Parts: sequence; structure tokens; C-alpha cells
Amino acid sequence: MPDTSYTRKDAVLYGGAAVGGFVVAGAAVAAVAKKAGDKSTPVEGAPIVARYVDGDLPVTDPQSATWDEADATLVPLAPQQLVQPYLETAGVGSLDAKALTNGAELALLLEWEDDSVDDLDGIRRYHDAVAVQLPTRAGTPPALTMGGPGTPVHVLQWRATWQRDIDSGGNTGVDQIYPEVVHDVMPDDVLPPETAELYWVGREAGNPLSQNIRSTPVEEIVAEGFGSTTHLPDQTARGHGSNDGGRWHVVVAVPTARTGVGEALAPGSTWPVAFAVWLGSDENRGARKHISQWQSLVLEAGS
Amino acid sequence: MPQVPNWQLGRDMEYPYAADRPSKQFTMIMDTNKCIACQSCTIACKSTWTWGKGQEYMLWNNIETKPFGFYPMGWDVNILERLGQQTWADGVYEGQTIFEAAPEGERVLGWTPAEEDWSHPNIGEDEPTGNAEETTYIPEKPHALMWMYYLQRICNHCTYPACVAACPREAIYKRPEDGIVLVDQTRCRGYQECLSACPYKKTMFNLETRVSEKCIGCYPKIEEGLQTQCTTACIGRLRLTNFLSAPDEADPRKPADYLVHIRKLALPLYPQLGLEPNVYYIPPVHVPQKYLTQMFGPGVERAIRTYENAKDDPELLGLLMLFGATERIMDTWEVKDGVASAYDEKGEEIVAVPLREPTFVRPFEFATEVAGEPMTGYRHNT
Repeated sequence: MPDTSYTRKDAVLYGGAAVGGFVVAGAAVAAVAKKAGDKSTPVEGAPIVARYVDGDLPVTDPQSATWDEADATLVPLAPQQLVQPYLETAGVGSLDAKALTNGAELALLLEWEDDSVDDLDGIRRYHDAVAVQLPTRAGTPPALTMGGPGTPVHVLQWRATWQRDIDSGGNTGVDQIYPEVVHDVMPDDVLPPETAELYWVGREAGNPLSQNIRSTPVEEIVAEGFGSTTHLPDQTARGHGSNDGGRWHVVVAVPTARTGVGEALAPGSTWPVAFAVWLGSDENRGARKHISQWQSLVLEAGS
Repeated sequence: MPQVPNWQLGRDMEYPYAADRPSKQFTMIMDTNKCIACQSCTIACKSTWTWGKGQEYMLWNNIETKPFGFYPMGWDVNILERLGQQTWADGVYEGQTIFEAAPEGERVLGWTPAEEDWSHPNIGEDEPTGNAEETTYIPEKPHALMWMYYLQRICNHCTYPACVAACPREAIYKRPEDGIVLVDQTRCRGYQECLSACPYKKTMFNLETRVSEKCIGCYPKIEEGLQTQCTTACIGRLRLTNFLSAPDEADPRKPADYLVHIRKLALPLYPQLGLEPNVYYIPPVHVPQKYLTQMFGPGVERAIRTYENAKDDPELLGLLMLFGATERIMDTWEVKDGVASAYDEKGEEIVAVPLREPTFVRPFEFATEVAGEPMTGYRHNT
């Protein structure tokens, strides 16, 4: 295995999880003390505390003042070089994470620098994205590399393309990639819909990736290692992302019950959480991504 | 990494998965000498499979003029340049394959075409090499100064596909019943790793469904015992859809086995890349053999000699006459009494073709009757 030189002592929370020779080294939580009232500067290594708030969470509004309730944690990112194919060079060094919960739902606000909005998929054209990785069960965290056989992870992925799907009502195909395109006769010009749609094979086959009419920009999956990503039959995650001033602000939210997925994210509990970021303009996709080490997520209980 | 046998290289090689040959292997034989680049095959494929929105640039089948035609641009010269100069010795490949030359962090030595590389399907069409002012009349053969020829391209349905090797999700698979390589449309997540890995550039990304697609070997036709659309649409009758056995199981009565293994007339495309591609080419007789050896491996000289002698070789000639004579897939064939016949798996005759069409000569003038009176007629050649 290559040298995983990005392992950072102050960001590593848990020991003992090993996969393919890679050991997530480190021992205990190295919580960094922070000054009370200083919410503007994200603190590296601090646990991500999901502040309890009453009522609906600002899931579709990354700019909501409610987010000011939460402290930001700086999460270092490094190119994924544990499993082929590698991301060769880093395009972003960290993301800032905040969290809120109302007991029924957990929401995370994730922000990172990216001055190029990549929200269409084309030939050698990839999208911006972010993902949150949680174990399905409490205890020793699974392998950082999307879990392993018998130790699954629960992943919530937001993609800029899916956000544009929603914002545009599904206008995210050839006509948007090539605005000047002139079409010859297309199947839906001359065939009845049930026949014409057969020419969108992925969509017809039910591939969730091929649907451009969607209700959420966040996909909920489980995995037991790289390459085993499996779309969950019940999609309960919500979210919203926007790019403002060369910075992505993305909210990813999931019901804390996690019915059919894993153990509930109970009030007062602490969970390992890891993140991944993709920069479309740097040809990030799939395993070619930036990843964090396991962080610590604390869900505040309501009073 | 497992070692797998690659008969085209004459040696074992590294591949991410263990060898698992299908019970039958889809194959296509192309006689490059007969192609006129009419693109009937391309249109047959396009109008059958890829005329949907999001598939505009997809040509699962294309014909390109070599050496200056490419789709996508520079697909072969780019990977050859990345691989660097390699050597053959006595029919054994001593160089590295794209699996063996993979850089750290990659499963395959790949090359990713830019978007605009897919914008010129007809680039280089009919352009010969050399300068026109040097000569337009070339007495010697092969034509050292000016030449071009047409290369027919579909997915090679490789024994060791690079697209399969590179897909992190194992979303691409090789069918055990016929060796056709398919992208599972429900499993693909559109990472486009296959577009970088396939050296032949025959996987393509659908802009509407956001997953990759590729030549499906017309498998619904294959399952019915029929040859592919590109084969049956070919007006030059230069294609043969068939099944190929492993070399140690070659049966001389089977068309593809005979052409590839027995007579060694049809050769794989860039075998040195290590994929054991399953489309085989009868090389063009007029092209410098140095170029052809780079493209088809070390068997070029022998193949051209065999082809040039085909007119005096009734068995081979008969098989070549059966190309394009039937839509059905031939299981076996034979030549008897000047007639080439093809048979299905039950041994029943599918089609019979004479090696020489009979010729009838009528006299220029002939006798006839008009209103009961004898007359001498004159026949217009209409």
C-alpha cells in the first residue's frame, strides 16, 4: 500500500479499524478546546456538535440564521489514495461542517471552496458533490474506505447535478450541455412514448442515477467497501446546495430514526462521521475524491 | 494480480481478474480489402441502437480511414505513444500490456479523449499518406509512398476487457454464453472510468441517462442465430459474425476458427495492448507491412500471402464467398464441386454459393420469326 501521509494525529479519532493493510491509527478523541462565543472561526479537530433546535431545520436554506446556533468544525481533506483509482492531486484542503438536530432529523451544513460550478454531466465533464458517511451501527467504526464486508456504512451524497435537476425541473441534458444543439428526428418525435422511452435505457431500466426528475438532491446509499454502493429503496434524505462567491454551501439532512438502515441517531449519542468532496472541474468522480478521516459527531439532546 | 493466458501474445499476462473464458466467444471477421467506407454498417447500427437523445455522438460502429482517420481523434496513436516502443520476438510479445504498464493508483494505462475529440467522426476520410506532388502513380507494391485503407471498428468484445478491469463497480460484464461485453444499465454510476481505460474507445457516456453504453454485439439477434446489423447491412459483404474457439479447441470446419487459428488469415487489432480482442482483420494487401505489423501484430506478412493466393485456394475462396450470403450465423461450411455451402448447428444447409457464377454467351445475331417469316434479329444489350 502507498504511504498514507495525510493521516493527521489531531484529526484521527478511532483506532483499530483496518482494511487492506491500511490502519486508521490513533487513539482517543483529541478535542480541541475552543473559546466560548467564537463561532466564526472553524476549529480543526473539534467534535461536530449537532445543536438541538425546536421546530423545522433549515434544510433548504444554507444561509438561515439558525445555522449560527452551531459551531463550525474544520475538517481536513486529502486525495483518496487508499483504493484504485486514486485522486492524484488535491484541489481543496478542507471543508467546514456544522450540524443541527430537532430530534427527528439531523442536518449538516457543509461548506468548501470551489470557484467553478460543475452541475452538468457530459463527456469528460463531471459534477461537484459532497458525501457524509456514517456507520450503520454504534461501536468500532467501519473501515474508512466505505466500510467493509459485514461492517456497512450509511452514505448521504449530494450532487450539484441533482440540485440542478430539481432547480430546473429536469432540464439537465443535451440541450443544456450544448445550448446551440440542433436535433435531427428523435425517438419521441415519431414514436409513442412507451416505445420512445426505451431509447433512454438507463432510465427505463430504473437506474436511480439516470432519473432527471427527482424530489431530493441527496441520495441515500449503503456500502460495504468501495464499489459496493447500493441505492436504498426508501430515500428519506433531503438537502439543498448553492454556490455563493466561489464557495459551496450544502445542507444534507436525514431522519434520525434511520428505519431499515441502521441504529437510530439518538439524542445524546456520539457517532463517527467522515466526509468526501468532489470537484468536477478537476475531473473528480467515483473514487477520485477528497476524503476526511473519521470525525466525531455529537447529537445534543433536547432540554 | 492473477496471471491469465493470452494466446495472441504467446504468453501469460497480468489481469485484475482470473481467466474465465465463455462457452462461446462472439467474434467478427473484417476483410479490410473490400471496404469502400460507405458507412452502411454505421447507419444500420445508428438507426437501430443509438438514435436516442443523449446518444448523438455515439457510433458503436464506425469506419475510419487509416492512417489519418480516428474516432475519437487519435484514439490509437495516443495509447501507443503512452505505452512507448515495445517488441515482439518470434511471435511472442516481450513488451508490456496496458495492464502491466498501469501507473500506481490505476488499474489500466489509459487515455481520456477530450470532449472535442468526439466531434469529428469523418476526420481524415480518404486522406492518403505522402505528398500528392511526389507521385500519384506507384508501380511497386506495397505502395510505399501513398496509401490509405478503411478500418472497420466495433467493440472488440475482448477476452480481457479493459473496461471491465477499470470499472470500480463491476458494472460491466462478459456474458458467459457468448462472450459479449455489456454495461449493466442498472448498476453503472457514470464514473466514465471505462472511457479512459478502453484503448479502442468503444464505451460512451449517455448525456441524458448519465451512464455509459457500448456496442451490444446485437445480442438480441445473436440469441436468434442471426448476424449483427452492421454485418448484414454491409454491401461489400466483408463482415462475418461468428463464434471463435480457444486456439487449442480450434475446429477447421468452423468459419472463424478456420480463418483465425488454422489459416491465420484474420488478425487481432493492436494485440500488444493485451486485451485479446475478438474482432479479426484480414489486412489490406497494399499497405506497408511495418505499419500493419504495429496494428495487427507479427502475422501480417503470412496473412497477406495467404489472401493473395485465395483465388487458387477453393476452400478459402469458398468461405470468403459465404461472407454476406446469409443473415444467419454459420456453424460450419464446406466447399464441394465448386459450391460453398454453410450449415447451422443441426447440420442443415443455410445457404449455398457457387465459387464461379456461370457465364452464358449469346450470339450477336440470332434467328427468329416475325409473323411467320424467318428473320435475323439483333439483340441490344439491355
